[in-house]
Amino acid sequence: MSSHVSSIREPLVFGNKTYHNITEDLVAPTEKTPGKLWIAMFILAVGVLAMGVYAVTYTIYYGIGAWNLNRTIGWGWDITNFVWWIGIGHAGTLISAILLLFRQRWRTGVNRAAEAMTIFAVICAAMFPLIHVGRAWDVFFFFPYPNTRGPLWPNFVSPLLWDVFAISTYFTISVLFWYTGLVPDFATIRDRAKGFRKKLYSALSFGWKGSAKNWQRFESVSLVLAGLATPLVLSVHTIVSFDFATSVIPGWHTTIFPPYFVAGAVFSGFAMVLTLMLITRKILHLEEYITVNHIESMNKVILVTGSIVGVAYITELAIAWYSGYVYEQFAFLNRAKGIYWWSYFGMMFNNVVIPQLFWSKKIRTSVAWTFFLSILINVGMWFERFVIISTSIARDYLPSAWSYYIPTGIEIMIYLGTFGLFFTLFLGFTRVAPVVAIAEVKSILKDYGDQYLDKTQENI
Amino acid sequence: MKDKKKQYWIGTDELNNVPEFIEEASYEYHDEPLLNIAEDEKTLGVKTNRRDFLKFLGFGLGAATVAAGCDIPVKKAIPYVVKPETIVPGIATYYASSFVHGGDYCPILVKTREGRPIKIEGNSLSPIIKGGTSARAQAYVLDLYDVNRLQFPGKVGDGKPAKTDWAEIDRAAKSAFAKGNVRILTNTIMSPMTQAAIAEFVAKYPDTQVVTIDPVSSSALLQANEATFGSRFVPGYRFDKADVIVSFGADFLGTWISPTEFAAQYVKNRKASAKNKHMSWHVQVESRMSLTGSNADNRIMVKPSEQGAAIATLYNLLAGKAGGAKIAAPHPNEKAASALAKVANKLWANRGKSLIVSDSNNKAEQILVNAMNNMLGNYGSTIDLTATSNQRQGNDTDFKQLVADMNAGRVGSLIVMDANPAFTRPNAAKFLAGMKKVKFKVALGTHYNETAAACDYVAPNHHGLESWGDVEAKRGQYSFIQPTIAPLFDTRQKEASLLIWAESPNYQASAEQPMYEYLKAQWNGRLNANGSFQKQFDKLLHDGVYTVIYETKDDVNFNFDPSMVSGITKPGSGMEISFFEDFRVGAGEYANNPWLIELPDAVSRTSWGNYLALPIEWDGGNEFTTLHGLNPEEFKGWADKVKLTVGGSDKEVAVIRQFGQMKDTVSLSLGYGRTVVGDAGKDVGIDVNPWLSMDKDGNVQYFASAVEVSPKVGKDKHFSCVQYHHSLGVTGTDKSGEKINVDEKTLMTLGEGMQGGLVDRSVMYQTNVREMDEFLEHLKEKRAEAQELNSKSLYPVEKYQRERYGEGHHWGMHIDMNACIGCGACAVACMAENNVPVVGKEEVSRHHEMTWLRIDRYFYGDYENPNAVYQPMMCQHCDNAPCENVCPVNATNHSSEGLNQMAYNRCVGTRYCANNCPYKVRRFNWLDYSTADLFEDNPTYVNKESLPYGSDNLTRMVLNPDVTVRVRGVIEKCSFCVQRLQEGKLVAKKEGRRLRDSDVKSACQTACPTEAIVMGDLNNKDGELNKRRQNSLNYIALEEVDVASSVMYQTKVNNRDESLDA
Repeated sequence: MSSHVSSIREPLVFGNKTYHNITEDLVAPTEKTPGKLWIAMFILAVGVLAMGVYAVTYTIYYGIGAWNLNRTIGWGWDITNFVWWIGIGHAGTLISAILLLFRQRWRTGVNRAAEAMTIFAVICAAMFPLIHVGRAWDVFFFFPYPNTRGPLWPNFVSPLLWDVFAISTYFTISVLFWYTGLVPDFATIRDRAKGFRKKLYSALSFGWKGSAKNWQRFESVSLVLAGLATPLVLSVHTIVSFDFATSVIPGWHTTIFPPYFVAGAVFSGFAMVLTLMLITRKILHLEEYITVNHIESMNKVILVTGSIVGVAYITELAIAWYSGYVYEQFAFLNRAKGIYWWSYFGMMFNNVVIPQLFWSKKIRTSVAWTFFLSILINVGMWFERFVIISTSIARDYLPSAWSYYIPTGIEIMIYLGTFGLFFTLFLGFTRVAPVVAIAEVKSILKDYGDQYLDKTQENI
Repeated sequence: MKDKKKQYWIGTDELNNVPEFIEEASYEYHDEPLLNIAEDEKTLGVKTNRRDFLKFLGFGLGAATVAAGCDIPVKKAIPYVVKPETIVPGIATYYASSFVHGGDYCPILVKTREGRPIKIEGNSLSPIIKGGTSARAQAYVLDLYDVNRLQFPGKVGDGKPAKTDWAEIDRAAKSAFAKGNVRILTNTIMSPMTQAAIAEFVAKYPDTQVVTIDPVSSSALLQANEATFGSRFVPGYRFDKADVIVSFGADFLGTWISPTEFAAQYVKNRKASAKNKHMSWHVQVESRMSLTGSNADNRIMVKPSEQGAAIATLYNLLAGKAGGAKIAAPHPNEKAASALAKVANKLWANRGKSLIVSDSNNKAEQILVNAMNNMLGNYGSTIDLTATSNQRQGNDTDFKQLVADMNAGRVGSLIVMDANPAFTRPNAAKFLAGMKKVKFKVALGTHYNETAAACDYVAPNHHGLESWGDVEAKRGQYSFIQPTIAPLFDTRQKEASLLIWAESPNYQASAEQPMYEYLKAQWNGRLNANGSFQKQFDKLLHDGVYTVIYETKDDVNFNFDPSMVSGITKPGSGMEISFFEDFRVGAGEYANNPWLIELPDAVSRTSWGNYLALPIEWDGGNEFTTLHGLNPEEFKGWADKVKLTVGGSDKEVAVIRQFGQMKDTVSLSLGYGRTVVGDAGKDVGIDVNPWLSMDKDGNVQYFASAVEVSPKVGKDKHFSCVQYHHSLGVTGTDKSGEKINVDEKTLMTLGEGMQGGLVDRSVMYQTNVREMDEFLEHLKEKRAEAQELNSKSLYPVEKYQRERYGEGHHWGMHIDMNACIGCGACAVACMAENNVPVVGKEEVSRHHEMTWLRIDRYFYGDYENPNAVYQPMMCQHCDNAPCENVCPVNATNHSSEGLNQMAYNRCVGTRYCANNCPYKVRRFNWLDYSTADLFEDNPTYVNKESLPYGSDNLTRMVLNPDVTVRVRGVIEKCSFCVQRLQEGKLVAKKEGRRLRDSDVKSACQTACPTEAIVMGDLNNKDGELNKRRQNSLNYIALEEVDVASSVMYQTKVNNRDESLDA
């Protein structure tokens, strides 16, 4: 520990924790019988998941006609949900990779849960491209596997194929990163466990000994993976945005999309991390590890990315006006004024106005406000995707083909079902692995523990 | 007895000349359906008891288990043992025939494959309709395979006919007819052979009277001609010779008399170009936006009850110029009166080159129309009194008398041929009451309908494609009907029934084809005396048409004096309604044909039922409004329902907002709401016939006054409208009285569903003929701008086009929007050719229609009284296609001949291509529309039938074997009829020559009555296509998107006279 400590450094661990306290606190959820709240939530999540499974099965059996998409609007809630979930899946890797490279120590409190969230969100997202197709049993055509049809390869020019590669790469790296971080923590659990759990965690921890060599390799791998993951954070949503940017549809065909999508993804990802962390910290009593300082830091990221998104929205409007291109102008006028004006309003209000509230320190450090606003931002970001995808094609070039779209019950059930999937996985995760990275928190204790900074929870 | 001379024989039977075999082999068709042959005594005599049944069941189950294993059963195509000479598998055979349904007529070629008729084409040898068709003619073939056809002779019991046999019907009929007082109630008969059969019947039962009605009456027209010319006829109209056309309500391009013929004539004089600016001027006087009105240059709005006043006013104006006697007449609204004055001037200036027609069913009004045509000297020039039309013969006065006779018990027996007065007539209730007093009633039709249900027997008629016959649609212009398939059911041609009942010696019941013999006997002696009759007759059947030239009558004996004119309709006040026939289901006679029910109306763009058209108003600010603010959210796929009260009775009906509908009027189409009808037509729309009325002559009046439209009383959740959007730049006056673009203005209303969009879209171009030069400059600039922008592309599209498609074939298309009248023939032809599924009302309301070709309709000009343009829209086969590069699995790609093609097997169904199509022409199989899915339990029920639509083997017989039936979950779209291209190429190759333009024609092209569509090879510099593509009025829709579309459109030119609206 250095002799001089900056006076503006805020503690990230409260409660005068020792290393032993940390171990006890964070391993506890995996060892104790779950509380009533957890059980209730888990049952609810599994129930909603079951509904989603029903809706997906129904769709595949009955046909995409179970949804209200039509000849003009070929993508609706399905791809909206896909892009939305993918966006949410951005925070985890950003926190673990980019913040690691930037040496942001506050990431240690939230990175584990954020990474888990990333992985589960990508799973939810990846489901949509698979089920939105007319013949789900033929989706293997997407993959470039050797075949006897010529051989016949997929169309490497199609952005949808790029999505397949981008998402699968992102998913792989995210899982690796997450699991690498889990290895020392699994070893900690192993060391305390007996019987079957010991065997299980022995296997999971890959024989981690905690030797200096182990730690050295651990650090190297983390750094390499961070280096690999960093460009992916930018590339995944860039490529998702290509689905639209490379098309010819006014409102889709926009060069601003890659940065705009990435900023939006980080924006929504952090909002989702906050929503989730605020719940987790409450249920698992982790207030001393996930502190108001963490929340404030994340709110600052939201403020920045939210402002980028706001600028992007206004830039789009300006470019539409400046382009002199009637279709483009109409597309944006229609967004604001047309039949889907309410979704545009929902997007503008929640994504541009709401994050500006975080300029106020009072709001930014208020748990209740943060929770409420993070949900609004998630809603706003869903609207953004809906506005881009559906309203653009609902009113494109030929007025004769214009149409309207509202989802069926099945589509809503599938969307809710992804929440069931997400929360089932996440709640399961909280019972199996430490929600906060034990080893990482220990590594910052002496720099950021309240007792070392002489700042207790009361005086901030 | 062995025949040693035979070199080749089929089996020993032939070698031995077994008499049974020889007889069997001489039949081309079997008299009876094969089922009946199989039902001989031997088969029927087999007794199977319960134990045997169980044994068979057990054995069957066991055998099936052993035999089946887990394999999918292989369905084997069984080859011919003895191949008929005329059938080559895989090669289509065409037979000339005629489409006839009452007065609807079209000479056709029937395409048959392996003995099944599958498609209707026009017969280009016909002098009346030169190769074009109508939507109804195209849909004719589907009727043949209608599961709801009458399949056996029946005795009408409760609700449906019980099976009986022909002998019983014949016995009952003959004994009833012998008691006298027979009446034959029929639709218009254009066939000399049918007339002959009726004449034989009348000769046998002398107190027989024939009563003719038309589904939609033109009785007054015939009465007027009887009054002025002394004989009942419909003259031959020549719209091509008229420079000024004034139509009082007559929808002559859609339904009036002979629309397919008139459409071809009409467009001849509508094709203005930069070099030739001459075109006819067409004024339509009407209250609703009819198909014809939407094509007119000017419309004069009069209420339905004012039409007579308008005719009389124009008469007086013309009489003033001609020095004729004026008549005392009511006046139409002032705006119409002042417009009519200008019309009169134009008519007078174009004497002998003008034409006035009217659909009025009021004798006095029709007499005035004749008088006007006479004053203008149109008889002999634009109206042909020699080649008169037989297409309308109905006499409402006769029918009124028949109903009276029936109710008075003066009718002993009634034979109903095709007609369905129990549905189409306002006095249907009285007619049905009279039916109860008639001892013996028999219906001769193909379908069970409201009238047949009130009969004692149904004696089912063959479908036209199973019949022999002849047609004289216009005097001296004959065409023939020959069967293209053996009768599918136990039916009997209606003429045969009449002849059998008449015990005619000319009906050779033992002959293989008695009606063929009868037809031949009719024609024997009427053909050229030189040469063999059989040869000549064979040629007639082969060609399908025959013309006898009559001498032109020069001296028109026109008889008119104003005293003949009495009873002109008096204009009413308050809201009025007009009832009209639409070009799809007619007055209900086509109401069970799914292709026609699903075809969207050209003007309202709705299908599956009739919608009450309401006028649209504009508040001068930001919003369009309608009566009671109805249908504000029609774009969401639901329509408001209202209570419509006419003459004291009310019904609930869904509404649609309709540009061009006159203020204070509404309109609703006939032909829907059939009650005794097949599965497809059941509960589609509402029946308006009880609201019709009759004038003193018994003529049916298709309008009503004192109409009330209630505010919203409910919702039609399945508003089957395929084009919510209504306009592309309609104008109106704002609050300060200045003329502005209303579409752009309403765009500023929050959430407004009726936005026209910004108008400067390169989708549709139109110009007034007088402004053509300026327009051409404008178009040139626009196109140059687009091309300039496109040349900036990093991707050298043109170079690739040249390199890739410069050699060989490069398919393209040209569509002349001046010729397109929106009749829908192409859309139905496309469904028939390409096995496009029917999806039903609910699916259409969800915008799941599968049509590969649609006809977009845009309104422009004054919002109260707009013009319209029709734009057939199908896959544009872009050479830089945006759909192709986005498909992740390469399911859609470009052929070396410039075709954008679909590999259905490869398609996964991401719909990315459909999203990225600027023309939105790609169609996705949302559900199992074709009943060809992997999962067997998820097909669609088009109209809540007991079986999924198209899952029965009968309906499937109409499928084109050259086109894949698409499975659920894949995208499909227009292929430029690639199967026809391949066929044409093969033919050319076999003949060792280059492909000619005439070798390949798409289905839409051959169906079109006005030759609006031309497909061909862009690399064939001398072809028709390249000739058409030289026109300076041409443009490419959405050229600036740089997709290198292969389809070119020709700007719509109108001849609107703005001064008429002032």
